[in-house]
Amino acid sequence: MQEQVISAQEAAAEGETFAESEVLAVLEAPKKRRINRAVLSENLWGWFFISFLVLGTTIFIYFSFVLSVWLSFLDYRGTGGTFWDALGRGSNDALYWYRYMFNTTITNAAGFEVDGGWAYFGSSLLNTVFYLVGIPVGMAVSLFFAALMSRDIKGAGTFRVIYYIPTVSSIVSITILWQNLFGVGGVMEDLFNTSFMGGDQWMQKLTVLILTTWKGLGGSILLLCAGMNGVNESHKEAASIDGANAWTTFWRISLPQLWPTIFYCIVTSFIGGMQIFTEPELIFGNVVTDGAAYQGVTAFVGIIYGYFGASEYHWYSYCSALGIILMIIILLLTLVQFWLNRKQEA
Amino acid sequence: MAEEKNTNVSYTSEDAVAEKLNIMQTIHKGLCKFGSWLGFGSKYYKSDKRRKKLFFDIITYTILVAFSFIMIYPFWWMLAASFAGNQDAMLNMAWWPSYTAADNPSLGGFFKNYENVFVIAARSSGTNFWQATGITLVYSLVPVTVGIITSTMAAFAFAKLNFKGRNVMFFYCLAAVMVPGPSLMIAQYCIYTSIGWTQNGLAMIIPGCFGAIMTAFFIRQYLYSMPTAIIEAAKIDGAGYWRIFWTFIIPLAMPAITAQFILSFIGCWNNYLGPLFFVENNAWKPLALLNAQFPDYNATVDLYASRMAISVLALLPVLILFAVFQKWILGSIMLTGSKE
Repeated sequence: MQEQVISAQEAAAEGETFAESEVLAVLEAPKKRRINRAVLSENLWGWFFISFLVLGTTIFIYFSFVLSVWLSFLDYRGTGGTFWDALGRGSNDALYWYRYMFNTTITNAAGFEVDGGWAYFGSSLLNTVFYLVGIPVGMAVSLFFAALMSRDIKGAGTFRVIYYIPTVSSIVSITILWQNLFGVGGVMEDLFNTSFMGGDQWMQKLTVLILTTWKGLGGSILLLCAGMNGVNESHKEAASIDGANAWTTFWRISLPQLWPTIFYCIVTSFIGGMQIFTEPELIFGNVVTDGAAYQGVTAFVGIIYGYFGASEYHWYSYCSALGIILMIIILLLTLVQFWLNRKQEA
Repeated sequence: MAEEKNTNVSYTSEDAVAEKLNIMQTIHKGLCKFGSWLGFGSKYYKSDKRRKKLFFDIITYTILVAFSFIMIYPFWWMLAASFAGNQDAMLNMAWWPSYTAADNPSLGGFFKNYENVFVIAARSSGTNFWQATGITLVYSLVPVTVGIITSTMAAFAFAKLNFKGRNVMFFYCLAAVMVPGPSLMIAQYCIYTSIGWTQNGLAMIIPGCFGAIMTAFFIRQYLYSMPTAIIEAAKIDGAGYWRIFWTFIIPLAMPAITAQFILSFIGCWNNYLGPLFFVENNAWKPLALLNAQFPDYNATVDLYASRMAISVLALLPVLILFAVFQKWILGSIMLTGSKE
């Protein structure tokens, strides 16, 4: 039996080496060329397949970004020739708009002392930061609900669907709804016996905050649920055998394993939260176009839109400069978050 | 006698303490009994896992149902408000307007608010509800369909093909995610205006057709987990990369593609910031803009309830889509980790 097997293996090995050497001897040159052609075609096809995405990224992101930076150094207001002419003209005072946004008074190109942009820009920064407060609160609430939903109960899927409905809903529709639900004389005023939209600026901000928290809950609950499913069951079991109750198991086992998901949620929420625009814009109004009464609500992107859309401004260069600052703030905020998270990663 | 006296005396000192202890013990026992009824273990009773689970299940359901109500109620309010007869009736109602559109003689008809959406928006906005809906559909379907194919192509190349510069190009694309949209929009607007795209809707269509980086990234992650053997086998059988892409990669990545398609579609349908910056021609305005600018079109009629009507109409398609595909959508979010 054993001999047979060995002999069979030997035969196979011999046959193989024989066949291989013969093939190599005969086909050495063409084989080499064929490999080159395969590599070449893989390279060409690879570049073809990524070409659309790379082209789109290059034009609509990198090229636009370079133009954005260039534009922020100019003074282009949509007049005096085309955009390309304006780009070619250059500027005498490249950092004018950056000084403009951080000063309350500034000397303009004509030598006049004019009001700077800090009043609106500063207040919009403050408002945006206030709207970010909702993120930690929302995360805690979502964690609570995710913990409830990941219990072994029937119908958890149905609850997930219900909690996700506000997240998929059209932001414009929801905002118009909010405007009436929390409006002056609205039903929420009667229920809580305070005025939301008609109140002071903090109550107005709170109205927006409730909306963003309510709308964002479903997304983070869903991601945390997915994270909870990924928590190692055997770790939990080991903990419960060692005498840990559900509370300890949650804090000591589930939460550390869930941390990457929570961190991801927080980072993406902060990036999205810095760009909040529609809610304060449509519920209340824009401080740039509709007057100083809305100084307490308009967010960062709202300022950009105000100077962009209003016909008396069209300060495209200033908007670009604000956009660059927005990018720097978001980048710094994300870096700080990763820096704070460095211990968990290690 | 002596014995009796003795007990009387001690009653005031030690027995009082004992009785107090007794009472405490009774209370403790009672609490333990109550706890055991809920399934908790104690000195006197064993813990009952089934009872305990039932107890916490009831609490869980109560909280979840209560918050489901908070999640749903605004939608019900929106629907009910769209039938209100005037602004006061709409603002003051909790469940159903006391004064509906049918009661208001100047409106006259239960669905009159919805009729106003079609009539008034058509009169002075330069567009109408159906046109705006069709344009929203174009803005959502064309860039998303073409974009998902180009994204999948890039994802296939990044995941499965070996070519020079693959990693460099991957990070080149991924790094672009760091630039937030509003930072680019002004420069993009200036470019689009100079080539006329803000007047004919192309600004909302063409850029999306080149694919989205995050979509490509998630499909790449999905393809990464797929074995390479099937591609090798197809190659040996003589299939080219183009054919491999259409006959193997697209069907294999279908779950990820469908999920990304639906999510991108919903994102495009709800997009407000994009058309607000990039659409200057009334005829090319999507539904979100028509919805947001609705009261600008007529100041003479009480349009507050009609605003709710158009909000309901704008919301409905997405909600139906979500209801039909909720399993795929939720599954894909949990799969890919993208939130919207």
